[in-house]
Amino acid sequence: MDTAEHTIYRAAIQGDREAFETVIRSTSRNLFAIAYGILQSREEAEDVVQDTFVKAWKSRWRVRDSVKLPAWLSTIARHRARDLARKRRPEPLPENFESNEVVPFEGATGQKADLDGEVRSALAQLPELHRAAVTLRYFEDLDYGTIEQTLGLTNGALRGILGRALGLMRKRLKPALAATG
Amino acid sequence: MLMSTIHEQVDELLAADLLDELTAAEREEFHAHLVECAECRQAFQEGKTMNRILNETLAEKKADPAFEQRMVSRFRDRVPKRSGLIGMITDLMRVRAVQLTAAAALLLALAQMGRIITGESMTEKSPRADYASNRPESALYNNDQEKPGARREVAGVLSKAEGRNKVVAPSTVAPAPPPPMDAVTSTVPKPQIEALRAPAKTKKTEFKDETTEITTTNSDVTAAAESAPSPSTTGPTANRKLVRNATAELEVVSFDESVQKITAFAAEEKGYVSTSSSEKQANGKLRGEIVVKVLPDNLDRFLGKLRGIGELKNQALTTEDVTKAYFDTESRLKNARLMEQRLIEILKTKSKDVADLLEVEKELGRVREEIETMQGELKFMDSQVAFATVTITLAEKNMNVPAAFLLKERAQLSLYATEVEKIYNDIKALASPKVQITTAQIDRDNTGRVSARLSLLLAPEESEAVINKIKGMARVENFQVTTDRVSQGGDGLGESAKTERDKVELNITLSRDEQEIALQSTSLRIQTPEVNDKTKQLRAIAEQQGGRIRSSSFSRDPNGREYSTVSLRVPMKNYNALMQSLNGLGKVENVSVRRDDRPNSQTDEANAPADVSIQVYTQGNIVSEETGLWATLRRTIGQGAAALMWSVRMIGVAVAFLAPWALILGVIGWVVRRVSRARAARKHAAEEQEEQS
Repeated sequence: MDTAEHTIYRAAIQGDREAFETVIRSTSRNLFAIAYGILQSREEAEDVVQDTFVKAWKSRWRVRDSVKLPAWLSTIARHRARDLARKRRPEPLPENFESNEVVPFEGATGQKADLDGEVRSALAQLPELHRAAVTLRYFEDLDYGTIEQTLGLTNGALRGILGRALGLMRKRLKPALAATG
Repeated sequence: MLMSTIHEQVDELLAADLLDELTAAEREEFHAHLVECAECRQAFQEGKTMNRILNETLAEKKADPAFEQRMVSRFRDRVPKRSGLIGMITDLMRVRAVQLTAAAALLLALAQMGRIITGESMTEKSPRADYASNRPESALYNNDQEKPGARREVAGVLSKAEGRNKVVAPSTVAPAPPPPMDAVTSTVPKPQIEALRAPAKTKKTEFKDETTEITTTNSDVTAAAESAPSPSTTGPTANRKLVRNATAELEVVSFDESVQKITAFAAEEKGYVSTSSSEKQANGKLRGEIVVKVLPDNLDRFLGKLRGIGELKNQALTTEDVTKAYFDTESRLKNARLMEQRLIEILKTKSKDVADLLEVEKELGRVREEIETMQGELKFMDSQVAFATVTITLAEKNMNVPAAFLLKERAQLSLYATEVEKIYNDIKALASPKVQITTAQIDRDNTGRVSARLSLLLAPEESEAVINKIKGMARVENFQVTTDRVSQGGDGLGESAKTERDKVELNITLSRDEQEIALQSTSLRIQTPEVNDKTKQLRAIAEQQGGRIRSSSFSRDPNGREYSTVSLRVPMKNYNALMQSLNGLGKVENVSVRRDDRPNSQTDEANAPADVSIQVYTQGNIVSEETGLWATLRRTIGQGAAALMWSVRMIGVAVAFLAPWALILGVIGWVVRRVSRARAARKHAAEEQEEQS
């Protein structure tokens, strides 16, 4: 861990507002990516990120190990986003979201709007963690190590998660891919 | 890596390849596999397309460039910076140490508060005061409860006094004849009477025309009173049985004359002298007691006359109400008489059985006995009521003039002697009919101290000679004579009484002269290099001057100083000579003299003892052995250790005070943490499950 960053994290935890604002600047994009992955809505994701920082500021002394501050922030953001998603969409995830059965793709067109919708639904079928990983990767172009750290995962765990996530999405998007590819 | 594993992990490798996260070796192997495996190649193609699509579509969704700035400014809006002190305090409170300190301070404050609270509760108003303030009311209430008749009686009296009170029904008055007015007012609190009176007054005019009716009521009452069993006299006490007694104490000039006068007064008031007794005192004065019986109505007049006889010392008048007892006995008597009548009838007619007859006879006897007893009681009470008893104590004036005086002389003699036993025996040898030895005692204790005590009774004419003789035997420490004039048969100054000298009581205490307290004590120091030699010389000088060495000591201290202390006693006459010769021994320093003058005792000053305490010493080493590095170090360490032990003790006290609190807080904290952890774990587990599924 970078010593300068570490110092900033510690200062932020001890109540230094400037340090905390620095933390906000450096982590808010990642948090947005995570929240967007879960909620699929930019406005809601932004609200979640904001709430996350306010809540984190109020309970910052709970962080014992200052290195884990980013992971802690993303945990808060994930929980908050999930709560919001549940409130918005009380019905559970479809039973068959993980099945290998290919959902028939109707009205395959090369139009961008349709593709957008396809990607959205393909993302929606993934578990939260997987979604967060995908959005983090594609939004912020982070390497595996940084993503793992941000999500609080163990070293090397992300490779499997992303592989599985992209595999599932690929199967889901197969018809569309065939159409465009 | 095996081909089959590559095939199985195609998703993972594909994603990593697309995202540029494969190592060079992995990439090579993967691409080699793609050439061989059509299925994987297909997947690779699709993946590449998807990657492009995702990059395109998701790029639009990502946060705009101003996003961070927006987040920061919104954060500033939503979490306003706390200004100054409050912010500092809230920030401080986040720190664990500050939290602990605050908790401790809170505990201390609580403890202090508790002490203040308990301290205040001690000065609380005692419940007794409340009780005291409540009591009169409750007592009043009880009084009312106990005497329901009293109120009714008041009503009766009032109806009589006001004469217009129709509110009170006559029937309630009849069974309880009204007592004297003053008796009622004493038993019933005034406010009640006022209260009763008030409505009566308001209705005065209203009931004016009904006076006649009330009159009949009054006559009913009188009738009821007259129908009572023993109508003796008229007035408010008409049917009350009152026993009146009086006592009076008088001082008169002549006893006999007074008795005659009293007898005359008693006859005037239709009474008689019941008993009379007298006794003659040692000084010829008479004292006696006369009991007179007079009619109760004449009692007050009789007492008034009594005052003319002499000086009234004290007088008491008592009245006892025996009405209830009287009527009780009377009704029981009536019943007993009826019973007697019945038994006689049975004896005459009913039974013929001998055993029964005997039984009836026995019962009749018992009843008759009872009747007689009750009759006796009634007769006694009647006599008590019929006559008031006046007990008069008479004493002639100047009762206490003494008959004679006796002069009692007591002498106290304290002696000091070298040979106590010899003197003791000499005094004992003085014994004769005129010199009686009542006690003689000699005490020897284990330290060799001897003392003796003797008590003598001397005939008055011999006393002075004997005392002087004894005084010559030894040194007199103290001599005291007290003379008491004892009057016999009274007190005061009897001018005519004669005075006699009684035997003289002489108490002697004999002690050895060593025990005598010195008249003068002197202490001095002599500095000399040769302590031992000088001490020997000192002893010689003392002997020469007739002194006796009482104690001596020798010591040497760590500084090399030598001390020799000698205490000696010389007669006062040799004191000055001794002091002079001491100057030859060395440099005399620090002389202090104390003299105990005993002005009250006739002391022989020339022979009185003088104590001299002499310290002969050498100048010690200039540097004490108790100074120096080692000694200082030792002292310092000792003091340090003492201070350390003290602080340990203080901390121990504080810990003992705080430990229970810390324990309680610890337990609470532990429980809270366990609970919150369990809750968090459950929540986390639920999330994990959800994510896994």
